[in-house]
Amino acid sequence: MKGWTAIYRRELAGLFLSPLAWILLCAGTLVNGIFFLLVLGSNGGEVNSAFVYLLGSGVLPFWLLVVVLPPLLTMRMISEESRSGMLEFLLTSPVSDVGVVVGKALAATTFLALLWLTTVGFGLLVQALGAPPDWGQLATQWLGATLISGLFCALGLVFSALSSTPLLAAFLGILANFLVILAPQYVSSVRWLDYAPLRGLARRVDVLQHFQGSFLTGALDSAHLVFFLAWTSAALFLAVRVVESRRWLG
Amino acid sequence: MGEPAAVEAPPGAPIPSLAHVITVSHLSRRFGSNLAVDDVTFRLERGEVVGFLGPNGAGKTTTMRMLTGFLPPSAGTIEIDGLDVLRDSLAVRAKIGYLPESVPLYREHRVREMLLFQGRLRGLARAETRRRASAVLERVGLADRARSLIGRLSKGQRQRVGLAVALLAEPEVLVLDEPTSGLDPLQRMEVRTLIRELSRERTVLLSSHILPEIEAVCPRVIILHRGRIAADGTQEQLVSQLGAETRVRLEAATGDVDVAREALVALSAADDVTLTGVDARAGNGVFHAFELSCSGDPHVLCEAIGALAQRSEWTVRELSWQRPTLERLFARIAFELDAERKPTRESA
Repeated sequence: MKGWTAIYRRELAGLFLSPLAWILLCAGTLVNGIFFLLVLGSNGGEVNSAFVYLLGSGVLPFWLLVVVLPPLLTMRMISEESRSGMLEFLLTSPVSDVGVVVGKALAATTFLALLWLTTVGFGLLVQALGAPPDWGQLATQWLGATLISGLFCALGLVFSALSSTPLLAAFLGILANFLVILAPQYVSSVRWLDYAPLRGLARRVDVLQHFQGSFLTGALDSAHLVFFLAWTSAALFLAVRVVESRRWLG
Repeated sequence: MGEPAAVEAPPGAPIPSLAHVITVSHLSRRFGSNLAVDDVTFRLERGEVVGFLGPNGAGKTTTMRMLTGFLPPSAGTIEIDGLDVLRDSLAVRAKIGYLPESVPLYREHRVREMLLFQGRLRGLARAETRRRASAVLERVGLADRARSLIGRLSKGQRQRVGLAVALLAEPEVLVLDEPTSGLDPLQRMEVRTLIRELSRERTVLLSSHILPEIEAVCPRVIILHRGRIAADGTQEQLVSQLGAETRVRLEAATGDVDVAREALVALSAADDVTLTGVDARAGNGVFHAFELSCSGDPHVLCEAIGALAQRSEWTVRELSWQRPTLERLFARIAFELDAERKPTRESA
């Protein structure tokens, strides 16, 4: 982990020095705001259920953003730096490979945590308007959204390390995220796959279930916390391995 | 840190490493079926400045990448200051300032920010980094560019920022891969002067495929060819290996060329005479240019030619001689090795 803070700070600064970060932040807030108003209008002003929709149950915009944004943020982090020689600079600095990967993953996750924080800002707004939200539930939802973003950022880094171009990395990352979310759903709902061990496995790796079953309802369960942290660590480990293999290939 | 006189060994370091900062033994690197570096062995003493010379694809960059811990070797070992590059990778990396050929810099950052990032990577305290950043920028002549965006700088300026970044942590060993490539002659001269200054305080290993570059900066030269060390020594040593290669040039209006050539060949100090040019448009008759090679003292040959010219009443307009250069040595080594290896391998 040595030196990850330096990488983390540089990556975060790098994100905010590029127009992409600001565009994503603005667009994300705008889209979230529009959907917040739409949901509030259709459910008769139920603030808490609107937040549930916005931070977890709605396919649009939440799941789309969660699937698409992390790979867009991480796509350049390794593939482009490998091309420009920046990776050579980092990997010959007294910083461990783990430090490089973890610093980058945390920077992308921090950015998304900020994006989800703008939704929490809506809570302040409705409180000022006289309809206080359930802050505990909102905070748990935000944490869950951040954790799932972290997992997808780690996955995105794996593909950034595997790919030679950022575009390919983003494409593969988005594809992988879709699979991670949809494959367990498919396995547990299709009749011809009715095989108990397989369904059991599907339940274990079901990101959607782990997220919606706990964080979304405002329950902070350490088992679900560990679930996300473990899978994120596994993805980070894989990314580190791929970066190491880049050394061997030259 | 970085003083040539520093003889204190780090705790636990083997004794042979006291004098030698870099010990490379039987280093090889394979990319698929291509052997990029082939059994390379050399040592660098503290405070030495050594130039890696070789055509493109000779294995210079690959060797440097292995030295800096970016590429693991296929075979062989590298020790920097008594530490193994693979086993104590982080400790070794902290001792080396490396400027890769591509001069990697974050273009969206300002010069100063890049230096602060390097300081953080190297674990320097913030105040210390700031102090050193100003000092290294002063040193590379970019003190007024600290707040410029790196992306807006010229190639030469970026090259110097790269040097500043490599120098920031005051490393004991500097590894510079083609530090002057892509620079204009003036910038090249500046970088050369800078490297010469740096070499007074630390061990420098630099690579180039440009001979004058190496001749100007490095007392010791390692010539790499097709992944192997073709020659290793001081410039004088290498050049003296050349032996009979001093060239004497004579331009004179001699009347009959063949008679003149006969007379020149007859000189005992001359080994070989070639007619290299004719100038018929000169005012004082037709001038011929001859090149003579000599194995002994070139002065003796020049005196003999002078006496001959006086006897034969030639009008001499040039009589000069040139010591053998690294370039000729380099060409010969490349040629000989190629001839030797042709049957087995065609391309580098």
